[in-house]
Amino acid sequence: MPSQLALPHLLIPYVSSPPQSSLTVLSSVLGATGNWLVLRFLYAALGTSAASNGEPMVRGHEAGRKSRVVLVSFLQGWEFWRLEAKRLGLDLARLTETQQFAFVDGLSELFSSPTAPAQPSPTLYQYPEAGTAPRTTLPIRSQRSPLAPGPAGLRQPIPVSTTSDGSPHKSAREAGPVKRLHLPVDGVAALDLFEREITAVINRLKSSPGGDGNESEVLLVVDQPDLLLAATGPSRCIGATEIGEWIMGLQQAATATVATVSADSPLIHNASVYAHQAATPLETEHAAFAVELAHRADMVMQLRNLETGAARDVSGVLRVSKGGAWGRRESAGVEESWEEKEVLYFVQRDGGVIVFGRGE
Amino acid sequence: MAPSNLSHRQTHNLLLISKLLSLRDTASPLTLLLDSLEQPATPLVKEYIRRARLSKIHVTLVAFETLKPFDGVDVFVSARRKTPADIVKEVSAAYTPGSSDNLNRRRLILIDSINPLLRSTHLDKSFDLSTFLSSFIVPGGTPTSKVDSSVVVTFHQDVPGRCAQSPYVPSPLTILTYLATTVIKLHSFSHILTQKAARDRSLVPPVFGIEEEKDGVLLGRLDKPVGKDTVEGVVLEMEYRRKSGRGVLEWYLLPPASRYPATHVREIVTLLDDHPLYRPPEEHNARGEEEEPESTFELRLTERQRREREGVVLPYFDAQQGDGPGEGGRILYDMGEEDDFDEEEDEI
Repeated sequence: MPSQLALPHLLIPYVSSPPQSSLTVLSSVLGATGNWLVLRFLYAALGTSAASNGEPMVRGHEAGRKSRVVLVSFLQGWEFWRLEAKRLGLDLARLTETQQFAFVDGLSELFSSPTAPAQPSPTLYQYPEAGTAPRTTLPIRSQRSPLAPGPAGLRQPIPVSTTSDGSPHKSAREAGPVKRLHLPVDGVAALDLFEREITAVINRLKSSPGGDGNESEVLLVVDQPDLLLAATGPSRCIGATEIGEWIMGLQQAATATVATVSADSPLIHNASVYAHQAATPLETEHAAFAVELAHRADMVMQLRNLETGAARDVSGVLRVSKGGAWGRRESAGVEESWEEKEVLYFVQRDGGVIVFGRGE
Repeated sequence: MAPSNLSHRQTHNLLLISKLLSLRDTASPLTLLLDSLEQPATPLVKEYIRRARLSKIHVTLVAFETLKPFDGVDVFVSARRKTPADIVKEVSAAYTPGSSDNLNRRRLILIDSINPLLRSTHLDKSFDLSTFLSSFIVPGGTPTSKVDSSVVVTFHQDVPGRCAQSPYVPSPLTILTYLATTVIKLHSFSHILTQKAARDRSLVPPVFGIEEEKDGVLLGRLDKPVGKDTVEGVVLEMEYRRKSGRGVLEWYLLPPASRYPATHVREIVTLLDDHPLYRPPEEHNARGEEEEPESTFELRLTERQRREREGVVLPYFDAQQGDGPGEGGRILYDMGEEDDFDEEEDEI
């Protein structure tokens, strides 16, 4: 357990219980990644129900109501999230068993066709950054071949070498901790397939027992869907509009949605209408996707580097702003008591995060 | 002259914006709202809906990016994954005139963001933006069931457009601004004030948000501290094209919705020039220059004194009549009632 609070006080109003059918956009740059903030969202939603953590939290008006999380990740695998969450005191494997959490892996087998003859791979997935703080490195996929020998086993959980952590080895297709996404075809059909698969996971969590009879609230976290855009692009009939509509479809299924995007300068500003230069299709599509997503968001949390350069005790700047859709809902003024803010944060070696204002 | 000109502009342009926002006389069939992340169009769209409700106009929202309908929207048409033809069909089916009452023949069609449609990779080649928009205004129905439709389209300026398919085709924004009868560009009031303060001191006006081109910054807007909440509001830069083709340009200020009740009927939009923060009252300085130095004597004239002084015919006017030498140039004095008659002096 980290020495300080897993959820810094300044963050509580922003990460806990996003309002109904809202979209929160979390933008990050290469030097200030957002994985720690995604974990704070997970913690805010799951932390109270984790019995290991007796610390009472301010959960606003929804105190006591159970909320569940579906995490769709395109840039990190299951193992990364499991280890990082463990440092926060969240046992994702156990939460998966109790149907409070589900992980959808959009990374591992995205481009390997499920019908292709799979080679058994003796080596494990390696996540080079798994042991360190979530920092700048992109995941290096040393092995990308499918793991399981037959098509029937393709949807099995990743055979983790250390099974002592209790990651279940069920062969049940749908109930495993990890649901893998495949990109079989081009165009919208693939996105439709993703939408169906993720919606099925959301609905399974929604209707699973354990609540008070009502459907539980499901927070959907989509981590870096811009990978899809970069990997396919308009030449394969997937553009910013299609990805945006895909996320809208997921939003309809989930109670609240958090989406992370990269906002690095080349991806946003090269194609910006304020820059007068020719941009590549990827730059254009990414900028359009990120900006449109921010237009649809209630809250935009932007992570960036410190303007004055690297510092030993500051990892970056977090700015929370009202997105383009803020205030659309009539009750917004009553429910949402947060205000726009800019704070500094520091990710420590043990994964703990300190959030503080400038000069504090 | 200047004050009367200004007051004329005030009355005229305030009437114009009130006509436009309340959709009276179909003043503008196609209104284009140009917004950005720094100032989203939501407050203005809500104001449109509020006024439409007051005058019982049927409101349709074509939602490309909205999940849940706004309050006050009669019909919500989700445009996700639909072809333009389907959207048009659904929108025109949503409202049948004359079914409820004959008076209500006006409808407002809001398109929350046209960008996803323009960027979509699935548009077939035959898609034509002007045909799409005009099919809302002039539905293919019978002319007897004519409905006065106004379309309000929001366009996010900061979303980059698609790479042009053909170099000879104008960009969608060009087509939109060409078609629109009214173009309203939205600015944040606090940004306008900051930029004006910089310009007043001959500094380069600052830019905000994506325009800053800072790594990782999508939105630059931050809440002002509570004490300075007077800078809330949306600045509308309006260009209205008259039927004659002449354009009317004006800057307005829309106060935040929390400042007035939802059933408020009187006009709440003001000219930006009338706002004390944008143009601080100058009377104080202007009068200060004209004022004469104060003294114990009363040096000013009353109105009556001035009139009488102007009425005096000076001797040289009389001399110019040319009655001959020696004639003219006499001092002719009409006695006022307050003059005392003095026989010796006033004898002629």
